[in-house]
Amino acid sequence: MRRRLNEAIVFVAGVAMLAVPAVVTDRYVLKVLTFVGLNTIVVIGLALLFGYAGQVSLGHAAFFGIGAYTSARLVMSFGLPWVLSVVGAAVVAALAGWAVAVPGLRLRGHYLAMATLGFNEIMSVAFVEARPVTGGNDGLGGVPFPSFGSFELKTPSALFVLVWAVALLVWLAARNIVRSRPGRAMRALHCTEPGALASGVDVAAVKVRVFALSAGLAGLAGALFAHSVGFISPSSFGLDLSVLLVAAVVLGGRESLSGPIVAMAVLTLLQYLGALLPGLPRQAAEAIQDWVPDIVGATLIAVLIARARGGAPVRAKEALGRGAR
Amino acid sequence: MTSADVLQFVASGLQNGAIYALVALGFTLVFASTGIINFAQGEFYMLGGMLVAAGVAAGVPLGVSVAGAVVITSAVGCLIERAVLRPVRSAGPLALIIITIGCSMLLKSWIRHLFGPDERAVPPFSGSEPVALAGALIQPQVLWVLGITVVAAAGLTVLYRWTRLGLAMRACSISHDAARIVGIDTARVVMLSFGLSGALGALAGAVVAPITQTAYDVGARMGLKGFAAAVLGGLGDPVGAIVGGLVLGLLESGAVAVVSGTYKDAVALVVLLLVLVLRPQGIIGRHLGEKL
Repeated sequence: MRRRLNEAIVFVAGVAMLAVPAVVTDRYVLKVLTFVGLNTIVVIGLALLFGYAGQVSLGHAAFFGIGAYTSARLVMSFGLPWVLSVVGAAVVAALAGWAVAVPGLRLRGHYLAMATLGFNEIMSVAFVEARPVTGGNDGLGGVPFPSFGSFELKTPSALFVLVWAVALLVWLAARNIVRSRPGRAMRALHCTEPGALASGVDVAAVKVRVFALSAGLAGLAGALFAHSVGFISPSSFGLDLSVLLVAAVVLGGRESLSGPIVAMAVLTLLQYLGALLPGLPRQAAEAIQDWVPDIVGATLIAVLIARARGGAPVRAKEALGRGAR
Repeated sequence: MTSADVLQFVASGLQNGAIYALVALGFTLVFASTGIINFAQGEFYMLGGMLVAAGVAAGVPLGVSVAGAVVITSAVGCLIERAVLRPVRSAGPLALIIITIGCSMLLKSWIRHLFGPDERAVPPFSGSEPVALAGALIQPQVLWVLGITVVAAAGLTVLYRWTRLGLAMRACSISHDAARIVGIDTARVVMLSFGLSGALGALAGAVVAPITQTAYDVGARMGLKGFAAAVLGGLGDPVGAIVGGLVLGLLESGAVAVVSGTYKDAVALVVLLLVLVLRPQGIIGRHLGEKL
């Protein structure tokens, strides 16, 4: 019952987000809220992978970047229609995720974290060095706005609605996934892999699929990012973003979609606090922005210590009890 | 390519390799006595360089700055273990990873608040007049890097083989419970391992800073490369860490010599992924890490 209520609240909040441009007219505020929407899409993917299936990825900023560069290139160099290029970017990112996940099956815990972190660094080097494709450190400018045929979405409010509509759809899809059989399989393997295997869950297949899905969602968000901002450079796709995403899922809680979404929204808004609270003195806003890593780091440590002492609730019975195949 | 060129590449490979070896030793010591991979290890390297730069800028003699940086970083290592890792000893590996990531965010951010975001230079330890060696020109600082690495490795060997603390550390790496039964204060050993790994990281950062310069954000990449070296040599094996570091450094400069310098930074990371996937026990490792 309570879960129903929570979901209803999230759904209503999501739909209400679409109406925000009717009230908020400040272009900058709309842009910041658009970033929140983009990060929402990425963090939903990571919540599926990390929060539900228990597979850590410190490389999601790289998939975000792969999506951004792929979509930008598909439109700019190959003249693909926008819709196709975004789909293409999501597919390419998902394939990249698949390529990381298959060898990654042999790794868990520390090692998977380090390997995905290494993957993120490799991609960071590639984004800087592959100048013909990515424009190097100078970045890639003039990425066209999203368009359907000749209809171009170029106002901040149109972009806002587009991004949040996609985020809402992604959330609905993710909610259906976690409630159905694949979601139960994910939770089962998070609790105990041998147990999941014994219950007939194809652990390897589930891991690879959820990794590819999660990377694909990051790529989708990256593509939307490239077209709404119009300029992309390697600094947007570094380790800091990957760490922030993992932090959001950790703070938002295991086996939750709304938790990580809210956590990521807060973490994103912290960085733009100055624009959102017009009364805030400039210096205070800058100071907060400067201290975001401290706030995030200290909160992470405090929350994890508190949780480890309190003992996290285990939902093994619930996940396995419903025939998680 | 002349033999002098080859020597030049070997020298730069060994120089980088020695640094990777020191960072890798830090990973390996902590892993051996705790089973934890410390994601803040790269920040110890960063602290070493930045504290020396700050000390020198404040007029403290270079030697004192280096010693101070090593001592402070070592204390930071102990503090991380005591304050945030010990309370959650029984938590799963993921929680420990995230906590060390939190520590690394804090360290990085504090150094940025204290010393600003700019790159910092550190003067070379003994002049910048290159030494001619068989036709190749070698910076004296490179000799410092190699020399300090050798001294650190020798010191560690002595510590590990012939001291009570070393014996206790080896015992902890075999079994914590058994070590406790024979009267070893395992909590203290774990804390000292963190302190020692902090000292090694800081030493690496301090001695290489005159060559590479340093900044608040150099830790992550060096941490990854040091981890690559540690895995290459077999995680938990100090000799392996040194061999892995040197091999990685030589591979990197070999790639620069043969292909190009463009993707130099990716070489170590690709090696890391390949080793993790194909041979997680390392190139000279004998036993498979049970944590895999």
